[in-house]
Amino acid sequence: MRRPRSTETARFPIDLKWNRWAVPGLVLLLVGFVGPLLLLAVYSVFHDGASGQVVGAASLANYAAILSDPFYLKVLRDTVLLGLVVTAACALLGYPLAYFLARTNSRWRPVLMFLMITPLLISSVIRNIGWIPILGDHGALNTLLLTIGITGSPIALMNNFTGVVIALVHALLPYMTLLLMTVIRSISVDIEDAAKNLGASPWRSFWRVVFPLSRRGLAAGCALVFTITVSSYTTPTILGGGRVLVMATFIAQQIQTVMHYAFGSAFAIVLFLVAVGLSTLASRWLERSEV
Amino acid sequence: MRVLFRLLITGIYIFLMAPFLFVAISSVGDSAMLSFPPRSLTFQWYLQISPSLLDALTVSLSAALTTMIISSGLGIWVALAIARGRGALARILQLLSIAPLSVPHLALGIALYQAVLLLWDFSGVTLAGTFRGLVLGHSVIALPFVVRGVLAGHAQVNASVEEAALSLGASPMQAFRNVTLPLIRSGLVSGAFLAFLASFDDVPVALFMGGGEDSTTFPLQVLASLEFSLKPDIMAISTLIVVVSVVIMVVLDYLFGLERFLHGQSAD
Repeated sequence: MRRPRSTETARFPIDLKWNRWAVPGLVLLLVGFVGPLLLLAVYSVFHDGASGQVVGAASLANYAAILSDPFYLKVLRDTVLLGLVVTAACALLGYPLAYFLARTNSRWRPVLMFLMITPLLISSVIRNIGWIPILGDHGALNTLLLTIGITGSPIALMNNFTGVVIALVHALLPYMTLLLMTVIRSISVDIEDAAKNLGASPWRSFWRVVFPLSRRGLAAGCALVFTITVSSYTTPTILGGGRVLVMATFIAQQIQTVMHYAFGSAFAIVLFLVAVGLSTLASRWLERSEV
Repeated sequence: MRVLFRLLITGIYIFLMAPFLFVAISSVGDSAMLSFPPRSLTFQWYLQISPSLLDALTVSLSAALTTMIISSGLGIWVALAIARGRGALARILQLLSIAPLSVPHLALGIALYQAVLLLWDFSGVTLAGTFRGLVLGHSVIALPFVVRGVLAGHAQVNASVEEAALSLGASPMQAFRNVTLPLIRSGLVSGAFLAFLASFDDVPVALFMGGGEDSTTFPLQVLASLEFSLKPDIMAISTLIVVVSVVIMVVLDYLFGLERFLHGQSAD
């Protein structure tokens, strides 16, 4: 985000008392965002009474339970693991795709760009249910595997973590690709050619020249994919078939089914910290560790 | 090596397109079990789309439209205050207006739900499970897209064109409307478009703020039907939505270029 300095803002000659016009937007943010989140933080330090009452004296007991109970720790661990697997897969698939789109001279490039971007803009529920006829026991992939004879009986590709990983990689690959592509395009082809002229193999010139220069884009892409993955609810619900418990699905259960508002709030705050905290740390580290 | 690379890229594209192709294939298959390959083709599911799905789609579209109007109407001024306002308020707005993007939407949905339950305790005003409540939640998650879009558009506004307009005798309001506003229009359009999508695509906020008669959105209805079984009429209506979406994208791509639209949009 650009940070406009006061000297800069004074340069625009039209002055319509901008702050005054922004008040309704500020009210929306206070009423619909700041207030509710403060309430969430307050609830998180109390206890759950009968039938959805939030009672007791303030303490950090909910947080202590989340960080010590093996069951909750498993939910946390599975979520982080899911985030890492999806992020790694997106990086592995997104890099070649981004490199291709950044460097190709094909006249089909606009079409290929369009095909890469549109999945992002189509409803996530539709994206998810499209995997069911592919990954189901009688789905296309199992039919193919059975016909070829690779497997004798259908492999469980959904209603488990496998399906969730596949659908999340599919959903998030375009983000990774877009961020990487922007960075790779900014690296001059001349630098690559120079390395090749000096005798480096294409692979070596990529690995020693392009890759290091694109680390910043990779870091940004990984942070974004990780953040969205660990907080995702829709995909684990649809392709996990109720059998995949990650933080988001577990929290929704706590609030909707058992009405543990206080505990659910604490877990939601932990989710926020994991999503934002870990990805910030990871991208700092990726940016610093070389160059 | 070159061939292998081409093959990999082709494979990735097949992966990217696969779910949409299979939504379409399943929508014309004869099997209610969604097995593959379908034994024969039929368009019967298109005629049998359940009324609850159509109602839900109507709710989704009107919520997305209302959200787009509210968040654009409020967001443009927030962005302008950030870019040209003064003092603490402008700085607070700068921090706050983008923040909903980095909070997991499920956490926000729960927070809003608890807040409106508390409101109900004190005043008897019901927002959970109503259209108003749903749009409130969606406007919060949509606002950052509008603010970011307008800020990006505003970066192209040059102070000298405003000076020119003023020195030629335009009132500040006229100069703003006829000179500044057209310059930020494309940024506003892209922001409004993403705001529409943020609402249309949302599950986690609707899960808590929606669910009532006039607030069961299309994604919620699909999730509810999945608990029993996935019927091909869902695939039929989804195919129609995909086709319409793609047509809209083609038009937007032609008019504005889609690439610019998406800087860090996030939803799941």
